Amino acid sequence: MITVTINGKKIQLEKPVTILKAASMAGIKIPTLCHHEALESYGGCRLCLVEIEKMPRLQTSCTQYVADGMVVWTETERVVEARKAMLEFLLINHPLDCPYCDKAGECELQDLVVKYGPSTGRFAEGKRTHPESYDDPIIVRNMDRCILCARCVRMCDKVQCASDISITNRSSKSFVEPFSGGRYNCEYCGNCLTVCPVGAIMSRMHKHAYRPWLIEKEVDTVCSFCGVGCSVVLQVRGNSIVRAVPKTGKGLNKGLLCNRGRFGYDYVSSPVRLDSPLIRRDGKLQRATWSEAFIYIAGELKRIKETYGGSSIAGIASGRCTNEDNYVFQKFMRVVLGSNNIDSAAGFAYAPAQKFFERIFGQGVTANSIHGISNSDGILVIGGDPTSVNPVLGLQIRSAHQKNIPVVTIGYMPGLKRFATNRLIPSPFAETALLAALVSELKSKRRLSDEKAAFARDINTIIENIPPVSLNEAGDVCRISPSDINNTVDAISNMTNPSIIIGRDILQRSEGHTNLLLLAALIYLLNGRIYLLSELPNEQGLVDMGCLPDMLPGVRPLAVDSFRRRYDEFFGVEVASEPGMSIVEMIDGANSNKIKALYVMCEDIVFNIPNSRYVKEALSKSELLVVQDIFMTETAQLADVVLPSLSWAEKEGSYTNLERRMQMLKKAVDGKGMEDWQAIAEISRMLGFDMNYRSPKDVMAEIARVSPLHKDIAYDDIVGDGFMWPYKGEPLRHGMSIEGIDIPDAKSLLKISDNDKIYAGMENPLFYSENLSRNSSALSSISPEPYARIGKALATKLSIIDGDYVNISADAGSIELSARVDSDLPENIVLIPNNFGDKGIFNVMNWKINPVIKSFVLDCTEVVIKKIKSAAEEVLA
Amino acid sequence: MLNERVVIEINRIKSKYHDAQSSLLPALYVVQREYGWLSPDAVAAVGDVLNVPRTTVKGVATFYSMFRHKPMGRHLIQLCTNVACMIMGAERLVDILKTRYGLEPNSTTDDGRFSLVVMECIGACATAPAMLVDTDFYDNLTEERIADILENYK
Repeated sequence: MITVTINGKKIQLEKPVTILKAASMAGIKIPTLCHHEALESYGGCRLCLVEIEKMPRLQTSCTQYVADGMVVWTETERVVEARKAMLEFLLINHPLDCPYCDKAGECELQDLVVKYGPSTGRFAEGKRTHPESYDDPIIVRNMDRCILCARCVRMCDKVQCASDISITNRSSKSFVEPFSGGRYNCEYCGNCLTVCPVGAIMSRMHKHAYRPWLIEKEVDTVCSFCGVGCSVVLQVRGNSIVRAVPKTGKGLNKGLLCNRGRFGYDYVSSPVRLDSPLIRRDGKLQRATWSEAFIYIAGELKRIKETYGGSSIAGIASGRCTNEDNYVFQKFMRVVLGSNNIDSAAGFAYAPAQKFFERIFGQGVTANSIHGISNSDGILVIGGDPTSVNPVLGLQIRSAHQKNIPVVTIGYMPGLKRFATNRLIPSPFAETALLAALVSELKSKRRLSDEKAAFARDINTIIENIPPVSLNEAGDVCRISPSDINNTVDAISNMTNPSIIIGRDILQRSEGHTNLLLLAALIYLLNGRIYLLSELPNEQGLVDMGCLPDMLPGVRPLAVDSFRRRYDEFFGVEVASEPGMSIVEMIDGANSNKIKALYVMCEDIVFNIPNSRYVKEALSKSELLVVQDIFMTETAQLADVVLPSLSWAEKEGSYTNLERRMQMLKKAVDGKGMEDWQAIAEISRMLGFDMNYRSPKDVMAEIARVSPLHKDIAYDDIVGDGFMWPYKGEPLRHGMSIEGIDIPDAKSLLKISDNDKIYAGMENPLFYSENLSRNSSALSSISPEPYARIGKALATKLSIIDGDYVNISADAGSIELSARVDSDLPENIVLIPNNFGDKGIFNVMNWKINPVIKSFVLDCTEVVIKKIKSAAEEVLA
Repeated sequence: MLNERVVIEINRIKSKYHDAQSSLLPALYVVQREYGWLSPDAVAAVGDVLNVPRTTVKGVATFYSMFRHKPMGRHLIQLCTNVACMIMGAERLVDILKTRYGLEPNSTTDDGRFSLVVMECIGACATAPAMLVDTDFYDNLTEERIADILENYK
């Protein structure tokens, strides 16, 4: 036990901490500037100086550790005098432009000078000047104000691990800048903004728009962009969000945000938001009242149900909507319309992957804490770059790398390039062979467990039957040297409980189901914890609420009579036992006239599914297309009725993130639409089925009774970030039968892709998030132009350099984009993001379905690339 | 950007150190020796070869005064004007360079022959004033002597 006395107060400590920490534990505040709780001690600003008895000189309390019997004084005359002197030094160069500076009011330097002085400076010479930089669309740097605490640089280096800014030059001429000296070329996480104590690094989005003391309320909510579910505080003035900031040290993100979470909120106030229901009259969508719209929809749905039966109606739920919205939606489809045709974007990859793993290992196997990643003894990442799909989860991997935890990446992952101990980039779509080789090798290195549990027996049988694939065979198919694969095998076979992070790319393959099987084998052999990357904030909620064609709320299989009966009893109707259609089957169904009506809640299927032209054609064949959304999306443009819904900041409800943590959305501003569940409840009432919910709280009360997983959940219990799986619920603990899972043959494991052909692939989006980022002027300004990422070898062959314009054509269509050359990308693939209306990947991608996973695949499109214009010509034009 | 010989040499340096960042200074020296200065492209290229973030390389390259960030003349004159040299007439030498060669501090002659950098102490106070021309050291400078010395550098 260590006893220290700070300002006369005795403090007992188990283990040594810094004086600063000890003081803060005792409620004594020591002023700091360079110290930040997210960062390591630096000792640069000298403001935390304290007097320690028996030590002749003042010591910095952020670096000095306590010792037993130490007596510390934090506010003696000597200390105060020293702080005053330090501040006077800082003010030599720091301009006194507080009346003009946006930081005033929340500026740490200003607060300290008010407290400690000096009231005047003695330095008569001029101040260092450096012009304010407006080169960047989002971040404005005013280096006159910089006090060189290096918090931003340390944040960028050690926490974000991006190292995109540094202190350049030295002594009084030094300042912080990105490599270019002007525009940033970084991940735009904006964490440097969070930590800047003064007004040196600020966001341009709200420059001179308000003062910190004019903020009327702060709303603690959850970010609306991806499946991580970071805590974020919305600062509101009037009826608009002025800023989204993280809560330092709070939430599962511990005060970190990514570009989307920090800057993307402005889509809420986009001028193109829908503000009135629209009904198609005379071929055009025209304004209508809510009741007109409801009467129209109810009438049409009734007619179609009576004429063609409930199974001719299909519904698409949304990972951007709350659990409550989605629950009401699936209830409306199943109970009111009598259709199991319910699916969502989760059906593209997330839900099938989870369903497969849960089938083998039992429910909840993917519900693992994100913080566990940096504490595991190894990390295997496959099928998507976590640093762009789920950026804050990606940081866990980078932080693990700093702790010397081995990180193995399989696939093209630019965000983890510097952080992978073993990096394998197989040729396009050839991961299957690589996975098979890893399984074969590990099978011999690791003895199969002799556990008696049913799932162990099942998976053992599967693993025994997977045909062996040698390193050489895999190396040939993947075009990776067998020794590299062998090194990777060595690296992963030493892991005892690794985190295995799986992205959607690996599933969206013709052999996606085989990849899943191999992954399950790998997970079992490695005793791995599964993390599924999730692009939508409530993708898990979609699954848990039963927005799947074959699952009821609580992820209970529809096919099992006892589960269905429970549902039937609760609602007094008989739910069909036949599973419904998946989202891609619905589109095929609409095309073949099997689906007559489609109800789409906040999902832009035309934009988010390959071959936009085919999807459009299919949708236009349906007799009724209802779209609820916040924007006039490509899908909404085809609709017969459009209902404006409310964005994430305008409503309440719960989201379930990829670790199955439930968190609450809080309303920050008023919107012009209607909550999704409410609109559906209105239509339901007109169809003769009363849904008497007054608020999401009532919906949650019903969920708590219907879904065994959410048993006894009270809406008000979901506070902060602590509501973790498995709640009080009853997960299906036992795995289900493996009957019907096909073991792949050796031939399907070793499919060789044609070397001469070039394939289109999908770029992982860091700055993009479908319609939200398209309508966020901040996110669009970071990366405003569509592009195609091309491997260096291919670029050299076609004499393409960065910035050249290329034409990419395929059977489905052709697009013109600027090229970005990347040396890590394999030769025969070109990656295109899907964020640019008619210039996205899905405009050229073919329509092909994997019948096992029941989702579209991305390895089916051959393209031809032609250079059309060099970058220089474009500038001249 | 960097020629093959330089890349090979940087990789050789890299292999001598435990981590890539430690090889930063010697790698930058190699590039400066080859090209005379460190262009932004060269700084970026060093980062790429060493797999160290470009911005980190820039931070290091701009911290040390021995790295040059604009093209230099064929010969670099580094003249000390610190106290001892100043007392012994270094500032007059600066004037002479200006009148005779049109050479201002931190600039290059029009013919690209000389560049001048005014230095802090180079440790030759006893024999002040002193200067370095490229890597050659000269002390006890006078107006005549400096002219004679520079005649040897074409």
